[in-house]
Amino acid sequence: MSTVTVAKKDFKAARRSKLLWAAAIVLGLIAAFVGYVSGGASGADVEQVRALFRVLTMLLAVLLPIVALVASYLAIAGEREGGGIKFLLSLPNTRRSVFVGKLLSRNGIVAGGVAFMYVAAISVALTRHGAFPAGMIFGTLLITLVYGSTFVSIALAMSSAAASRSRAIAGAFGTYFVLVILYVFPAVSFGNIARWVHTTLLGASPNPDLYNAVQYTSPYLAYRKATNLALPTEMRHIVFYSSLPDDISYGSSAANEVLPLYLQDGFSLVVLAFWLVVPLALGYALFERGDLE
Amino acid sequence: MPSIQTNGLTKTFGDDVVAVDSLDLTIEEGEIFGFLGPNGAGKSTTINMLLDFIRPTDGSAQVFGMDAQTECAAIRERIGVLPEGYGFDDYLTGREYMEWAVETKDADDDPEELLDLVGIREDAGRVASGYSKGMQQRLAFGMALADDPDLLVLDEPSTGLDPNGIQHMRSVIRDRASEGTTVFFSSHILSEVEAVCDRVGVMNEGELVAIDTIEGLRESATGQATIELECAEPPRADGVADIPGVSTVDVADRTLTAQCSDPSAKVDVVKRVDSEAEVVDILADNTSLEELFNQFTGGGRDGDGTVGEGLDLEESQEVSA
Repeated sequence: MSTVTVAKKDFKAARRSKLLWAAAIVLGLIAAFVGYVSGGASGADVEQVRALFRVLTMLLAVLLPIVALVASYLAIAGEREGGGIKFLLSLPNTRRSVFVGKLLSRNGIVAGGVAFMYVAAISVALTRHGAFPAGMIFGTLLITLVYGSTFVSIALAMSSAAASRSRAIAGAFGTYFVLVILYVFPAVSFGNIARWVHTTLLGASPNPDLYNAVQYTSPYLAYRKATNLALPTEMRHIVFYSSLPDDISYGSSAANEVLPLYLQDGFSLVVLAFWLVVPLALGYALFERGDLE
Repeated sequence: MPSIQTNGLTKTFGDDVVAVDSLDLTIEEGEIFGFLGPNGAGKSTTINMLLDFIRPTDGSAQVFGMDAQTECAAIRERIGVLPEGYGFDDYLTGREYMEWAVETKDADDDPEELLDLVGIREDAGRVASGYSKGMQQRLAFGMALADDPDLLVLDEPSTGLDPNGIQHMRSVIRDRASEGTTVFFSSHILSEVEAVCDRVGVMNEGELVAIDTIEGLRESATGQATIELECAEPPRADGVADIPGVSTVDVADRTLTAQCSDPSAKVDVVKRVDSEAEVVDILADNTSLEELFNQFTGGGRDGDGTVGEGLDLEESQEVSA
């Protein structure tokens, strides 16, 4: 299987990267630190561990895209610029096996980083609180890995589109800015831009569901909503306040069910699937057709 | 079945750069073919199309009768490639690169033997990106040899090699060819092609301007043979110009220079001149391949672009057909 050979070699080279190990250790330390500082809250041990993992996922929501983009943005562009692609494609590999092999190994690298964080956080949870709410831990872990994969897909697509290292860097920065930053800061978020266009330019009456639907296109928000699926009801992230009627309490299960289907937590899986599949398809099409020199 | 066949193979970049212009090339099984041309003649572009690194704008290429684009996976099973513009930029040792090549080709070769064959066994434990250019070239050559391919595609193989390395590579290439491997070999260095190749194709500005054996190419250029005679006293040019095969005669002081369209005419020139003035020194100059190369390619990037002056290109192609 040449896909596996490509992935194995790529992973082997990555394992030697001191930078990557340093990054993994930093991630582990961050997780341990989060575990340490979040331990001061009141409540039962299990609650405290749940709170720890909730904070951890909030941190991962902004951090993991960086990790995944940095780990993957050179996957193809670096080989093209550095000439490694010449060997890859002189040997009995197809472009597909190169692309899929890279996808596998870069996902493996990102999963390794996530594993470092989870191991650190679990260690802190066990030693300080002696609690292990397995459902939540493995639930959020699974969703986190999917979230990481979406950014690996996006970075790989960027890497296929960029013929050079510098363009790939620009692509990675741009991606993070557009898909994360623009959704984190309320003033310039896509939802607010949609509101402004809708009400001010078009003069329509406000429709919060529409703006929230626009917001929901982000893998960042999709991840936060997806983690709700693994969090206890009272701990859920309420993302779309403006779509909630006044008489609904934020901590109740109704806070999700009252929303239109396309704003509910479950819909996040559709959004994540979109970001997982569409960039990959585009990236692969570009790589398959392009002239590689 | 030919090892390589191209039909009207064309590649243009943008609107006005024609890198390869309707190339028709057939390379038979078992031959060592030299693909010659100055920088930018379209050699690498052609090779890149054969390997499906880039896609033809028009025409097609077949390797072992398989389409270079749609059946590239099956082709890569049977070829060994020393590409141009490669890079060892993963943090892997030479040995690991060789093992990877052997594993990817699903070959039975012992990586150690291949490393030994190309003379880098002792350095195989070092990271390949730290190798000198010549050592990287040896490693890349060794990787191409894995799994005893039916066709070796070597793009400027001697780049960076020391004279010993070049000698050794040539002998390995000859060994492999004598075992039936077809070798397709690109170069801008004539002596290299002359030393190993059975047949040569000369590319210039995207077109194949000549294709023949080395001898055939020489023959097609014999019109350029020159003889220079230094005599004891100023020689007389009378009658020398009438010798069949002599095109121009020029006398300056005690030196007579004759251009011969037929090289055998040189002997007659010497006899004739010597009968009237004692010849003290003879300087004969058959057209060198270098000169030939310049004629075919108009001096390459550094020439005035006049191609094939004094050469009958059509004839040289007929010889090969």
